[in-house]
Amino acid sequence: MSLISSPFAKKPTSVTELMLWVVFATLPGLFALVYFFGFGVIINLILACTTALGTEALILKVRQRPVLPILFDGSAFVTAWLLALALPPLLPWWMTVVGVAFATVFAKHVYGGLGNNLFNPAMVGYVLLLISFPLEMTSWLPPAELAQNPVGFIDALSYIFTGTSMGGEPITAARLGVDGFTMATPLDHVKTELAQGYRLAEIETHAVISGLSGSGWQWVNIGFLAGGLFLMFRKVIGWQIPAGVLLGMVTMSFVLFAGNSDHFLSPSFHLFAGATMLGAFFIATDPVTASTTPKGRWIFGLGIGVITVIIRTFGGYPDAIAFAVLLMNMTVPMLDYYTKPKVYGHKVKRQQGDTDAH
Amino acid sequence: MERSGYKSEIPIFEFHGGIHPEEHKLESNQTPIQEMTIPKQLVINLKGQAGNRSIPVVNVGDKVLKGQVIAESDGIFSTFQHAPTSGIVVAIEKRPIAHPSGLDDLCVVIETDGKDQWIELFPKKNILELERAEMLAHICESGIVGLGGASFPTHIKLKRESGIDTLIINAAECEPYITCDDRLLQERATDVLKGAQIISHLYDDIKIIVGVEDNKPNAIDALVDARKQLEMDTVKIAVVPTKYPSGGEKQLIQLLTGKEVPHGGLPADLGLVMHNVATCVAIYEAFEFGKPLISRVVTLTGEACKKPGNYEVPFGTPVEHLMSFCNATNPGVLVMGGPMMGFELPNHKVGIVKATNCIIMAAPKELKHDHIALPCIRCGACMDACPASLLPQQLYWHAKADEFEKAEEYDLFDCIECGACAYVCPSDIPLVQYYRYAKSTIRNQKVEKTKADKARLRHEARQERLERVKREKAEKHRKAAEARRKAAEAAGEDDAKKAAVAAALARVKAKKAQQDDSETDNKANDQKDTDA
Ligand code: SF4
Ligand code: SF4
Repeated sequence: MSLISSPFAKKPTSVTELMLWVVFATLPGLFALVYFFGFGVIINLILACTTALGTEALILKVRQRPVLPILFDGSAFVTAWLLALALPPLLPWWMTVVGVAFATVFAKHVYGGLGNNLFNPAMVGYVLLLISFPLEMTSWLPPAELAQNPVGFIDALSYIFTGTSMGGEPITAARLGVDGFTMATPLDHVKTELAQGYRLAEIETHAVISGLSGSGWQWVNIGFLAGGLFLMFRKVIGWQIPAGVLLGMVTMSFVLFAGNSDHFLSPSFHLFAGATMLGAFFIATDPVTASTTPKGRWIFGLGIGVITVIIRTFGGYPDAIAFAVLLMNMTVPMLDYYTKPKVYGHKVKRQQGDTDAH
Repeated sequence: MERSGYKSEIPIFEFHGGIHPEEHKLESNQTPIQEMTIPKQLVINLKGQAGNRSIPVVNVGDKVLKGQVIAESDGIFSTFQHAPTSGIVVAIEKRPIAHPSGLDDLCVVIETDGKDQWIELFPKKNILELERAEMLAHICESGIVGLGGASFPTHIKLKRESGIDTLIINAAECEPYITCDDRLLQERATDVLKGAQIISHLYDDIKIIVGVEDNKPNAIDALVDARKQLEMDTVKIAVVPTKYPSGGEKQLIQLLTGKEVPHGGLPADLGLVMHNVATCVAIYEAFEFGKPLISRVVTLTGEACKKPGNYEVPFGTPVEHLMSFCNATNPGVLVMGGPMMGFELPNHKVGIVKATNCIIMAAPKELKHDHIALPCIRCGACMDACPASLLPQQLYWHAKADEFEKAEEYDLFDCIECGACAYVCPSDIPLVQYYRYAKSTIRNQKVEKTKADKARLRHEARQERLERVKREKAEKHRKAAEARRKAAEAAGEDDAKKAAVAAALARVKAKKAQQDDSETDNKANDQKDTDA
């Protein structure tokens, strides 16, 4: 096939550019994360991205593909970036490396590389880690205002690479809140306390639950929301998936909450808790593994929102975006098939005499 | 670019998708249309229209005058062609032609004499007295085809009369770079409307709508003036927003009526007939002056073109003549048509045809980009841009995997090859090429299949015939035996000898008859086989 053929004109947007916009849009959320949870987040990012680029380059060599152009499409980088943003701040370094390497090799290249994978690679890596290391993966640092021992950059490095601080303190020390309790994420906290038989009203008096959805967390979510809206505005992502996720989440949690507000978290709590906004705008919107039709994207998003609330409420894991995304990934081929838009000229019968074209 | 503030006179609808590529119109639409110089030789392709090849009616060595018929319609699906200037026919042979296939085709080559001497012309100003058939015949004999780019013979497009209630003049020249219709409207809007008026005489009662993009403010003003001057108050001017591909027939219909041409149908099914502005002018000239279509306005543009503008170019003018006229010594790409749907000319010697609306002489970097195609990331940008509401990403997926049936299931054949999808694709995938490839493969497969089907049928028929011959033979044997038996019976037992002789005779007779029969049979059958 000759490569010189119409159209000769080309919009100058490249995959690389899209990926860069995505990374750029995570910045507000990233700043919030660093502000509340320390420099471990940055170290995770650096570790993850280095691992991703290294692994990708290696695999491309092995698969005898051109290394540089594909490396520069930025997809491996973005996968690692998003995965790192979802990891707990002081996760031991080798876990991050294992998660990212697994995501790159198994979730992406085993399927044939960019564009061919069925499952969201970042979430595959995340779920692998969550299942293998549930304790480490659900141990968060207390947010800045609640931390007993705020962790500096050097200590974070030390914790991540050796498991203890520079002074030899164990990692559990870093996880203590002002009240001397080990910190969990708000979603986690609510879950364990509910299991203990407390009512929601009582749990909500705990410091970690303060604010919209837990201390610090609402800011992280607002950060990702802002970045996500920016992506939507720049048309880097469509609006159907995020809207679907959020709507699905609100609807499902509202049904539960309206039924028993003592036992089920409110829609607003769900919206701004955990990885909601990161998931809705950055993870679920991975074009490769999401549905590709407008209607299909709606359903895909709605599904993620509903499933997330269900798992958060009834499942064994506190946050559930990753599982919800992977589950909905499985429905994509079917969704795509059954939501084909009506092609020009095929809807004429229905439209005849109809003055409104759309 | 400047937008016209003129308010559309009819409500405008929307079509799905579409893009806003850089317009590049200012390079060529600032100067009036000029006459192109006449080259030494004209190479006129006899298949210069959609449909069949015209049949040449001149011979090598003939002297021809400007406007003289050099080829006639094949009577079904082609038009007439005329000498664009006076000169001598020096060859009728296969030459490279202006077609994406790059194949050679039959051309009439005229050595021009520089006198530009006209043949006598016979205007037909008495339109009101003309029969419909006469009008159509005149359009065909004037060699008029759609000048919007598809060059479909106009008399065929105008054949259907019943149920047509709207004539749309397509002035939505939406491809970047091309400005020939824009200039034509600016300078000769009255002729355009007069042409439309002539077309309207072919129908009992027909509305006229001019669809024009709002990036042609001067053209719109000229139209408004012309309408006033001609007192054609019923003509509606519909201004559509600038968006590619508004000028696509189906898209313009959707914009102006909100209706979609049914799948596999024609605009006529909606009561519409659409003609391009240049076609209207050609029709006007054919009736008013008796002038056949021998030249057209062509936009010459691109960074390598030193005299960009619009030129009245005689058909058959070799592209290299235009290039040397414009001092375009070394263009990077030479595109015929627009950058979205045009094709690269592999040969500079080919002659301008009726479909040539634009030649882009691009600088080396102007239209070529050297990104390599990355995998599809299913971002759906192509889907959002597709004016046919297709799923280009799925079409691509299946075309690439040679899953042609699946591609057809996704309505591959509704793709108008506008290139909007490839334009927006961030992975730089040459999507349209995949669709063309898939379409042509499917078409070929269908041709192969009909061939195979025919062969199978023929084989079966032959098989059956052989069976039949066999059966008939057996039947004859049986009859012969019967005859023998009867003869024997008749002769009686006492006359056994006589009977034996009779039987022997009957046998010989039967055998002979049978041989004769099967011989003629076989001959006839063989004849049939070769016929089939
Ligand atoms: S625009 Fe290109 S990358 Fe995006 S879905 Fe379409 S073909 Fe794939
Ligand atoms: S080329 Fe075909 S598939 Fe692509 S945008 Fe145009 S109509 Fe749609």
